[in-house]
Amino acid sequence: MSRRILPDSVRATHGPKAPWLALAGGILFLLSGLLSWSYDDRILGDLSIRFYPAGIQLYAMLFGVIGVILAVLLLRRPPWLSPARGLRILGTTGIVFVVWIIASVAYQSGGLINANEGGWVALVGAVLLTLAGHLSPEVDIDVRRWPRLSSTLEIVIIVVLMAILLFTVAYTLDIQDGVIFASFLIALIGLAGGLLGTGFGGYLGFIGANNRRPLLLAAFLVAFLFPFTQDGSDANMSIATQVLIFATTALGLNIVVGLAGLLDLGYIAFLGTGAYVAAMLSSSGFATIGWKPPFVVVMLIGAATAATFGLIIGSPTLRVSGDYLAIVTLGFGEIFRLAMFNLDGNNGPDLTNGPNGIPAIPDLELLGFDFGEVHTVAGIPLGRFSNYYFVLLLLLMFVMLVFTRLNNSRIGRGWVAIREDERAAEAMGVNTFGLKLLAFSVGAFLAGLAGTIKAHQDTSVSPDQYVFLESAFLLSAVVLGGMGTVVGVLVGATILKLLPEKLREVNDYRLLVFGLLLVVMMRFRPEGLVPSKRRQLEFHEEDQELSELLQAEHLQAEHLDPEQLEPEHLQGAK
Amino acid sequence: MTVTDTATTGHEAGRVTVLEASSVTMRFGGLTAVDDVSMRVHEGEIVGLIGPNGAGKTTFFNCLTGMYVPTEGTVTLKGAILPPKPLKVVRAGMARTFQNIRLFGNMTALENVMVGRYCRTSSMALTSILRGPKFKREEAATRERAQELLDYVGLGRSTELLARNMPYGDQRRLEIARALATDPQILLLDEPTAGMNPRETEETMGLIFKIREGGLAVVVIEHDMRFIFNLCDRVLCLVRGSLLVEGTPDQVQSDHRVIEAYIGGDDEEESV
Amino acid sequence: MDAFAQQLVNGLTLGSLYALIAVGYTVVYGIIQLINFAHGEIFMIGAFGALSTWLIFFDGNLALWVLPFMILGAILASVTTAVLMERIAYRPLRHAPRLAPLISAIGISIFLQEAVRLFYGSVPFADFPDAKQRVPFPQIEVVTGPAFQLGNVTIQRSALFTIGALIMCAAGLWYFVNLTKTGRAMQAVSQDPDTARLMGINVNRIIVVAFAVGATLAAIAGIAQGLQVTNINFRMGFLAGLKAFTAAVLGGIGNVWGAVVGGLTLGIVEAMAVQFIPGTFGGSPWKDVWAFALLIIVLVFRPQGILGARVVDRA
Repeated sequence: MSRRILPDSVRATHGPKAPWLALAGGILFLLSGLLSWSYDDRILGDLSIRFYPAGIQLYAMLFGVIGVILAVLLLRRPPWLSPARGLRILGTTGIVFVVWIIASVAYQSGGLINANEGGWVALVGAVLLTLAGHLSPEVDIDVRRWPRLSSTLEIVIIVVLMAILLFTVAYTLDIQDGVIFASFLIALIGLAGGLLGTGFGGYLGFIGANNRRPLLLAAFLVAFLFPFTQDGSDANMSIATQVLIFATTALGLNIVVGLAGLLDLGYIAFLGTGAYVAAMLSSSGFATIGWKPPFVVVMLIGAATAATFGLIIGSPTLRVSGDYLAIVTLGFGEIFRLAMFNLDGNNGPDLTNGPNGIPAIPDLELLGFDFGEVHTVAGIPLGRFSNYYFVLLLLLMFVMLVFTRLNNSRIGRGWVAIREDERAAEAMGVNTFGLKLLAFSVGAFLAGLAGTIKAHQDTSVSPDQYVFLESAFLLSAVVLGGMGTVVGVLVGATILKLLPEKLREVNDYRLLVFGLLLVVMMRFRPEGLVPSKRRQLEFHEEDQELSELLQAEHLQAEHLDPEQLEPEHLQGAK
Repeated sequence: MTVTDTATTGHEAGRVTVLEASSVTMRFGGLTAVDDVSMRVHEGEIVGLIGPNGAGKTTFFNCLTGMYVPTEGTVTLKGAILPPKPLKVVRAGMARTFQNIRLFGNMTALENVMVGRYCRTSSMALTSILRGPKFKREEAATRERAQELLDYVGLGRSTELLARNMPYGDQRRLEIARALATDPQILLLDEPTAGMNPRETEETMGLIFKIREGGLAVVVIEHDMRFIFNLCDRVLCLVRGSLLVEGTPDQVQSDHRVIEAYIGGDDEEESV
Repeated sequence: MDAFAQQLVNGLTLGSLYALIAVGYTVVYGIIQLINFAHGEIFMIGAFGALSTWLIFFDGNLALWVLPFMILGAILASVTTAVLMERIAYRPLRHAPRLAPLISAIGISIFLQEAVRLFYGSVPFADFPDAKQRVPFPQIEVVTGPAFQLGNVTIQRSALFTIGALIMCAAGLWYFVNLTKTGRAMQAVSQDPDTARLMGINVNRIIVVAFAVGATLAAIAGIAQGLQVTNINFRMGFLAGLKAFTAAVLGGIGNVWGAVVGGLTLGIVEAMAVQFIPGTFGGSPWKDVWAFALLIIVLVFRPQGILGARVVDRA
């Protein structure tokens, strides 16, 4: 499945020049870091100085370093690496990177004239790298023939990578300027893609697959350590908690949409149910119910209420299939919002204070631990949002556990069968209605759970937080990331929540881009960025090549891990 | 209804009746697709169902398996009346295959058969999340049984192939394995050899005999007369929704009404 | 009794609006079994198209002769959007799993709303009013003169316009579907697309025509709404679209006359609910809730609608 843009004849005649082109491209990139990119020294962290690279210029030099490394690899031609693919990724991303910066310079300083020589040199470098990538011969790499390391060493590699990840994330979030943030992200994609595309990526995936548990553990450790990198600042932690709530809810929705194949357009109502229950039972002065049970009880009540709503809504409607179900759930979502809006005592009983909602919800207090206060651990202060972050992380872990375990069980198989052919599944003894209802109510339960925490973290609930757009937003996280995968949803949720927070300049265009994103994803990559293999197959029914390829991968994975009982490779989560 | 009633009372007397359909009628609006058809299948018996296209064979199958609710008539399995719900029919012990193969294309052969085990296993949500020893035992047993069944139908080497990538003949056999996974007492096969070459057809015949030896009753719809007459203990011929003839293969084969029905038969397609 | 008659008139007016939009859902569904979830936005675009036409060519002029031009502008805007939408977002997904076009439709819907919110009144037409708030709609003379009184029942002129628009559109539609070659081809495609293709009908063209017909009626509904409510906004398509969809299902989706009957029924039910549901759950705060409840009940218990549509196996 190599992408051949250049004709074979050109590749044959000019192929030998590729390493030198790559070398030249790399050197140009390195050089560009020492040149001035912008005449204006007030923008993008001052790119006007020569021979003293800062910020973006350093990123450009990193492109150069990787380009030179790949060029050298290309010269030596190790049979087990494919620098060509790495170069293509590096070069193409490099072009995007440079064009983005030149455009930003031109836009921010009022004219293309202000873009200095550095950018243009880098652009030539990027084009050369891309060209070299397309000219070089493709090497079929088989990571299984790479030397096996001792398992301790493999785990060390995982830990080191995770540590790098942690610091990269911390560094990224520290960038305040939106344009620099975006250029760093682009650079990161290019640099990581350039290195990993050569075959290292496949190898790391292979190592990861062999050490699933350590990998998971390390990932959670990284997530757990993240607040400690923030030095008591709550700015990024506030974003992080939002990402976590969003990801948790989206993962719950993914059980409904991704696993059971039911399109739920009113899912936000279940989050709202949890949040409203928590608010009504909280000790806020505006709470409408006098009973104040401990929070653990509130959580269970909130989740159970949401699940009950799920059952009530689901039991008649799940007999309706496909797009009708989507509209029905949308209707229920709207009814929820309108009911919360109306139940202010004048129209129906006073439960929600109507449009004003329930404000002043106090911070959580669990086992004497006050979530509103700053706690100092190992000399590092952890603020209010860090406290919520830890609880939400636990919740996310729980939802991930529910998701993967349900997926890899008799129930998960039943869901796949329903997605494939509902009537045949029923004729084979699969309780289709029961399984759909289960997905619906489990999804509702998890959203309700998340809602109870959200109410306290937001300190208020109001009807306008639970509009249809929010449901569509959750759905786009699932669609963007990948239906039916855990990692996909985490990626999707992070992109959708983090980018608008960091790119304040384009925040107003957020929804416009989401709308476009949904259309484009459905057109070109309906299975999402991190697809579940099965979903990928479903969306490409006619693609015979793909089905054989995925089957071969499947076979390899099976072959490697004979004693593994659970077919975890199927869920696509690596 | 014209029934040549010698075969049923003859040498099969005293055997246990597995399936009994009495006066099953299915009307769609003004069209009567199945008209007052009765059928009795005994333990370890292979019954053939033949008839020209559009005779209502598949519709009759759908009535038996609860995919259609018959307008009139009842279906009993081992003496108990079957409710017209596919789920309950499978649980009671009747499984089927489809004329136009309906496998789960994006699942592997093994997973397809494992889905068939669904109704004979019981792990629900909480068990699956907690993963206790019972869950693991059941999951392993499911996998083992599915592999056994694949070996049984001769697909032991195709375990990890996606169903949609399998050759046509193998898909038909996989459907049989999936149906067998539900632990049925009676198996309904809707054109199990359609599209097969003579060698595969021969193998399928062997497989059906093997299934019968395991104590199951089998009902087969087929257009391949040689196949039917070599395979079945008894043959029913449907024409325009009604039972025309019932008897041993020899009796049916020589019945002039059957021959007439086929020569005069129309070519209407029937659907599932 | 007067209250009843008044609500009947109100309901008929509202219902005509729903019916005009509902036809768009139903013609498209009848042909490709697709719920064009973004159809509500076509209605919204129609209203803005009419407003733009007025602002560009007739700013300040409220004479009756301006109205046909506004209608033309509205139709142009709506049809263009609908046809582009079909071409870009739906056609490539025609054989994809059902989830795909629906998600795509949600995307289009959000995109169109946001495009109007962000760009209306900015760059090329900077003197247009900002569409982030409600935008006043030109109140063309005669159509919006003093109301008629029939006993104690008040009939707004804009209501007459809406009901009249429905009658004219229904007549036009009847002519188109039954007496023109394209209309008959459309019927053929909706019966059996494969056979129609074999008979030499260009199915893709017919699908485009279906989108265009729906968009035309939605554009007229957009103007009717603008005249009646006196202002328009970028969100107006969402609720109207959902209710019109309810109407289409109520009448039997895929059935053009069902959409008209369903629309009128829904309008009357809604008007009566506002008037006659007693207690704290009555009145206008809850009217949308009752409309949604009706939507759910219809979808769950009578998905084939009142008149009954062809029921496709939707599994």
